[in-house]
Amino acid sequence: MKPRHGEVLSYFFKNLARTMFLVGAGTLFALSLSAFMTQEMMEGLKRNISMPLQVAYATMIGFISPEPRYIIYPILAKLREFGVSAGVLIALISGHVLIEPSGFFIEAGFFGWRFPMKRLIVSFILTFAAGVLTNIFFRGL
Amino acid sequence: MAEEKKKKAGELRIGFILLLLSCVLFLIAPDKVTASLSVNFALALKILALSVVAVIISVAVNFLVPPDFAEKHLSGGKTKHLVYATILGLLTPGPVYAIYPIVFALKKKGVENGILVSYITGQTIMGPARVPLEIGVMGLRFFLYRLLLSLLMGPLAGLLYMLISRKFPDP
Repeated sequence: MKPRHGEVLSYFFKNLARTMFLVGAGTLFALSLSAFMTQEMMEGLKRNISMPLQVAYATMIGFISPEPRYIIYPILAKLREFGVSAGVLIALISGHVLIEPSGFFIEAGFFGWRFPMKRLIVSFILTFAAGVLTNIFFRGL
Repeated sequence: MAEEKKKKAGELRIGFILLLLSCVLFLIAPDKVTASLSVNFALALKILALSVVAVIISVAVNFLVPPDFAEKHLSGGKTKHLVYATILGLLTPGPVYAIYPIVFALKKKGVENGILVSYITGQTIMGPARVPLEIGVMGLRFFLYRLLLSLLMGPLAGLLYMLISRKFPDP
């Protein structure tokens, strides 16, 4: 059955209001947070932490970062500006979206603990591998 | 209905927490935060504009793709279903909470957990609504590379899950 125009419009405006509120709040927070990230800080981190560890940290930070998913984009843009490698950016974005802390518990409720635990391990292995391989083969992304 | 209300309240709470945290950061270093906001004002506007496009795409997909689409194409336990599951996941809009009822229904229909993992991986790693944001903020090359990665990571996630499940089977 074809949806009515009114139904589509109402769905659109409700979604738009919800998204604009969440994205607006997320962007405001991400940009406020980026005020505390400086070029020197990033250079220090890059110098003191080896590349595979940077990717591993980015993956774990991604995993524990809360929703909304849009929040990551302004942070990624700032990190890229500071010269953070493409592999770290890939690990951060993939980690952020693949595992959601609250989703972990929902999955445990639906399927039992083994399901999210195994998914967490699988996601970590793949995200880490994607980050490291990106740094080896696609540095200038 | 009650679940929908609960979800909306949760989203509102997250939004207000983010606003509150922004206020805290502003109070800690008002000059730094003001400078960051004014320097990145164009980026913020760009993200908001791209979000409108993202909403249009998600609404279109929501009304154009039938709800039983995933169920129709994932029944069966062959390896090719891992690829189908990933592609269907990539095309499914909405937050991850929205797909749990679909995943649960698929599980009830007998779809293997490995295929469900590919579906969840595809859905979470890159939704259709985030495409304009990703292209707009990170560029087309970054997006295409991520799309390729997603197409590889989805089936691999399912495959790896199946391998681990041989040693640690699901209850």
